[in-house]
Amino acid sequence: MSLDKHTHPPYMTIWAVLAVLMFGKVAVGLSDLPQAVAVSILVVISLLSAGLVALYYMHLRFETKLLWALAFLPFPLVAILILTVIQEW
Amino acid sequence: MESHAAAVGLPGRQPEIALEGVYTKKLGMWIFLLSEVMFFTSLIGAYVILRFANPEHFASPGEVLNVPLTAINTFVLICSSVSMVKAFAALQNGDQKGLQLWLLVTIVLGSAFVGVQIYEYIQLAAHEGFVPSADLYAAHGGPLYGSTFYVMTGFHGTHVTLGVLALIFVLMQARKGAYTPQNLGGVEIVGLYWHFVDLVWIVLFTIVYLI
Amino acid sequence: MSVSAPTTDFDLLPFAGEHHEELPFIRKYIFSTDHKVIARQFLFLSLFFLVVGGLLAAMIRWQLGFPGQPMPGGDVLPDTMAPGGIILPEFYNALVTMHATFMIFFAIMPLLVGVFGNLLIPLQVGAPDMAFPRLNMASFWLAVPAGVLMLASFAVEGGASGAGWTAYAPLSASGEWTGVYLGQQLWLASLFILGFSSIAGSVNYVTTVINMRAPGLTWLRLPLATWALFITAWLILLAMPILAGALIMLLFDQTIGTAFFRPEVGGEPLLWQHLFWYFGHPEVYILIVPAMGIASEVVSNGSRKPVFGYHSMVLAICGIAFLGWIVWGHHMFMSGMNPMLGTTFMVTTMLIAVPSAIKVFNWLGTMWKGNIHLHTPFLHGAGFVSLFIIGGLSGVFMAATPVDIQIHDTYFIVAHIHYVLFGGSLLAIFAGITFWYPKFFGRIMNEFWGKVHFVLTFILYNVVFFPMHSLGVQGMMRRLYDPYQYEIFADMLPLNRFISIALFALVVVQVIFALNFILSLRSEKVGPNPWKANSLEWAVPSPPPHGNFQHMPVVYRGPYEYSLPGAEEDYILQTEPDEEAEPAERSVEPATR
Repeated sequence: MSLDKHTHPPYMTIWAVLAVLMFGKVAVGLSDLPQAVAVSILVVISLLSAGLVALYYMHLRFETKLLWALAFLPFPLVAILILTVIQEW
Repeated sequence: MESHAAAVGLPGRQPEIALEGVYTKKLGMWIFLLSEVMFFTSLIGAYVILRFANPEHFASPGEVLNVPLTAINTFVLICSSVSMVKAFAALQNGDQKGLQLWLLVTIVLGSAFVGVQIYEYIQLAAHEGFVPSADLYAAHGGPLYGSTFYVMTGFHGTHVTLGVLALIFVLMQARKGAYTPQNLGGVEIVGLYWHFVDLVWIVLFTIVYLI
Repeated sequence: MSVSAPTTDFDLLPFAGEHHEELPFIRKYIFSTDHKVIARQFLFLSLFFLVVGGLLAAMIRWQLGFPGQPMPGGDVLPDTMAPGGIILPEFYNALVTMHATFMIFFAIMPLLVGVFGNLLIPLQVGAPDMAFPRLNMASFWLAVPAGVLMLASFAVEGGASGAGWTAYAPLSASGEWTGVYLGQQLWLASLFILGFSSIAGSVNYVTTVINMRAPGLTWLRLPLATWALFITAWLILLAMPILAGALIMLLFDQTIGTAFFRPEVGGEPLLWQHLFWYFGHPEVYILIVPAMGIASEVVSNGSRKPVFGYHSMVLAICGIAFLGWIVWGHHMFMSGMNPMLGTTFMVTTMLIAVPSAIKVFNWLGTMWKGNIHLHTPFLHGAGFVSLFIIGGLSGVFMAATPVDIQIHDTYFIVAHIHYVLFGGSLLAIFAGITFWYPKFFGRIMNEFWGKVHFVLTFILYNVVFFPMHSLGVQGMMRRLYDPYQYEIFADMLPLNRFISIALFALVVVQVIFALNFILSLRSEKVGPNPWKANSLEWAVPSPPPHGNFQHMPVVYRGPYEYSLPGAEEDYILQTEPDEEAEPAERSVEPATR
């Protein structure tokens, strides 16, 4: 449950992965892929990168169940808001 | 858990009871970040809905916004996240010099991000006619593009600026030797805030610049 | 990472209460970090705004009861509001807007959350103070400038906001429709600052309840007031930021001309309604859930019986809080929204009747065959239950879309909201102030005058608000400056005048409460537990000293053990050791025998 003093998560590896994912996103964003394909790829990569930051840089991976529960609390509300209101148009 | 509920009510100090296994400062910061999630939800949600409702107001990626410049800026922010986590790791190892060095690096990178963003705003407003005001808007797309862009990135930039100020405060405390491997709450919570702001930017950069 | 809270036996350590230094006046009473002082500061601030909101209500009723006639004493108002005491239409718009704004954001919400959250949470969980006392102080000192800005908006050119408390765009998005520029901007800025205050407070409440409960105080031994305030704090945390974002966008529409909610440049006014009510409906529960918690405490105490169905009470609070997120569209049935959404919202809204009814039946079950003591807090609590039933039932009416089409934006809605907010929340606040007055000030309010105030308020309240249902069903719209200029409403004047006169009486009756409150400050001091209640706040002196508890309290039982068979007294403090059952913290050890 806790981070050991001398075995830190692979911070630099994650940094490299984040950088590669980011430049990959730019390539997809500026490419001529069909809109739907590009958007799907971009959303997946973004969630992946955001997940890496939360899990390793914010140490969520090493936290208690309480914090896990807290961290996921807002997401149903976010989904409810956007998915409902978008029905109007 | 309760049996370990240790209360150290020393005079003038808050008891650090951690009934649920997370010490109080960190729990408070996480709870605050949840409300930040909801704040950015209202801004990003409004953008998503407005864009869905009025697609003709928005230009395709790279048409108005300077994607390469912002990509480099995003890279700067990712680097600042890794330097922040390095500062925290240094403190865990009791390396005070490393803590201060990495905090300084984070501050410099964070300030650079804000600086580039201001430069970008000036360029967009002066040369592209890309402004938040509906009456003065002169770029591709329509006024909703300018309105949503400036509100979302502006509030993110405000968060980065406040984060830099908090980091400067933490650095000053660190120089006084306020943090030890046993007492690292201050560094950890400012780090949580900083990574959260980075995380929001990862999402914002994608949906504002690349979609 | 386990951060070092040295694990030592808490009994051996000095608790904060033991070290009591004299603080200078300014740190003790003005910039204090003591949760009890902050609770008192919030109490005085929000009672002040309650008076302001009440006076605005009286002016609204004057215009509706005596339209176009000079208000008694109205000539003190400047000519931009009421020349010669006659209320102008623009000022009337500001009156209805600001009455709602002050009552909701600056009176009821701080009274419930700021006052009772601050006073009760640390005491009932057995903590020496909040988790972040300085943040708590900041919470109060952000609420003050917010209130000042809101009051100041009356004095600026164009007057205060007149776009309604819901600030529907495009009416609120540009001053050209209402003539109100700066007033609307101040309204937006003030609420934005107040949002910071609320979030700072809520971070504290949630952290304190999760992390600072006394040993043995398990989740299901928490008093219902704390449960309610805990859930409310979550609602504030997750709903307030949505409002803050929406306010920012509207403020930019007003000031720098962004396009968000302005249809003439491509914006979407309907988006404002969605964002506002996505915040607004949880806000409705922010205003009623703590009142439910307070009612549970006083009803149980007055009945001398345990709360009926404690677990279902907790689950009902959580259920209401969750359902509160998926019903916001029922405020917008007339906005031209997607009909499929309308039906969904109708169904989810009706579902809320289930947890609400569970709570009502539990309160009745608590009173059933109890040894009822008709003390003032109990009377107010019982009043709360009965009026909440009426307000809740009219809520089920309005949830049905076809009915809502008839009564939308009429006085039926006004009646409903006042049944839950005044009859519900405010009566619970009176109950709470009377009940915990000893913990605020170390004295007790006069019971006789408290009962007189309750009886008169209860009767007059129903006289004022019950007839509004009838006005609404007949079609009288809310917010009309002079309804009688329409032929169909012309014959409603007598009933409106009757309501107005009753309201003036209701306002005057509140003077009894004010005098009782003020004069009781000089009455005799009382002991720790004048109401013979069980929870932890009654185990410490009245008022509790700085740091609250001499030693860390240990909890052995639930909060509502009234009239336990075989017990000497009809109440048992939560700190009373139980001979038969071991406390929770020790029960993890294997039995030795």
